[in-house]
Amino acid sequence: MPYPGQLNEIVALLEHLPDDEKRGVLISYAENAGKCEPAEGGKYDIEDVRKDEECTDTVGIFLNVDDENKCHFNVSLGPKVQTLTKAMTSILCKGLNGVTPQEILDVPSDFVPRIVGAELVRLRSQTVYYVLTRMKSAVKVFLNRLRAG
Amino acid sequence: MSDKFSEYASPDALVTTDWVAEHLDDPKIRIVESNEDVLLYDTGHVPNAVHIDWRRDLNDQTVRDYVDPEGFAAMCRRNGISPDTTVIFYGDKSNWWACYAYWVFQLFSHTNAKVMDGGRDKWVAENKELSKKIPKPDPADYPVPAERDDATIRAFQAQTLAHCKGSKPLVDVRSPGEFKGEVTHMPEYPQEGVLRGGHIPGARHCPWARAANEDGTFKSAADLRAIYADELGLGEDDDVIVYCRIGERSSHTWFVLTRLLGYSHVRNYDGSWTEWGNMVGNPIEKNV
Repeated sequence: MPYPGQLNEIVALLEHLPDDEKRGVLISYAENAGKCEPAEGGKYDIEDVRKDEECTDTVGIFLNVDDENKCHFNVSLGPKVQTLTKAMTSILCKGLNGVTPQEILDVPSDFVPRIVGAELVRLRSQTVYYVLTRMKSAVKVFLNRLRAG
Repeated sequence: MSDKFSEYASPDALVTTDWVAEHLDDPKIRIVESNEDVLLYDTGHVPNAVHIDWRRDLNDQTVRDYVDPEGFAAMCRRNGISPDTTVIFYGDKSNWWACYAYWVFQLFSHTNAKVMDGGRDKWVAENKELSKKIPKPDPADYPVPAERDDATIRAFQAQTLAHCKGSKPLVDVRSPGEFKGEVTHMPEYPQEGVLRGGHIPGARHCPWARAANEDGTFKSAADLRAIYADELGLGEDDDVIVYCRIGERSSHTWFVLTRLLGYSHVRNYDGSWTEWGNMVGNPIEKNV
């Protein structure tokens, strides 16, 4: 599978689970989204906190890139964010931890229906893609700043 | 019954969260959660509540339409609902989808139904019990309804166009930006594939949220009359069509007009803006 880091393992685990078990795992990920919150007073290379039109509440992306060019994300979520978005936040923070900026930019979004299941991906739940988009956006800003010196 | 409910045209169309808490094990009722957030029910729900999902359970899976009478009966049977069961709907988003589910049940003449005032948010805010246990109701006997009544409370595009041309009351319950045509999606939502923005010419604008209090409960009868009768000028016997984007917010307004204010002839145009704004040749008004 073309996914970097632990994301491969997460996709492999989830995509073959029966729907009810898949829901259970997604709920568990959603309930652990709070663990992705940034540390109080923590310092980050990129801090991007905003409320976009396409998401139901504020989402903050906090990115650190270490000396080995590995990315580490924290994400803050407003209380109105939908359950699937919370689950995706946990999955992406864990799955993409320690991968390079370029690998983040290259992550295809086709893993989403594979792990969430076709029934749960609807027009009204397209924000499952939103957190990945925001992470890529933070990485782009980081790389642009790096290039600008 | 609360003083607030007694002022409504159909006081028994609503129940309080306290009433539901006292009837969790009542075999004559079935509590139903209907949400927009597809996983919210699984995170914890009112004990013994079943989950009826608008897309999976109430819509046809191929054609853009509702389930047919056979599909409705099958859905009721597997959720332990018989024609005599009192169905109590509640959900997220100030009961948008609870009202939508309630409205679909009325298409099949299941009138023994109520909405929990304040919905899921109020239940959670009051720290009432939530359960992750999925109930497995015994299958009930539900005869296939003779028909789906698409004539009385549902409006189609052609009827809405005739309404528009006849200058009959149309109520657009979307947000101001959607009504003016400034945006083609609901605030905080992804684009749902609409090619044109604006509203049906002549439609009066009254966002659904004006009927709701901060805690998701419905406003008092007096407050609602001030909005819909005094401000919008709707008469109780007027032939009214309400619409939004896909029919869920307008279900909320339909519930307010028919059950809380007693309007006798209100139809929900469930095709709404995702049909109207895409259809070739439909008249559209903007920036008004």
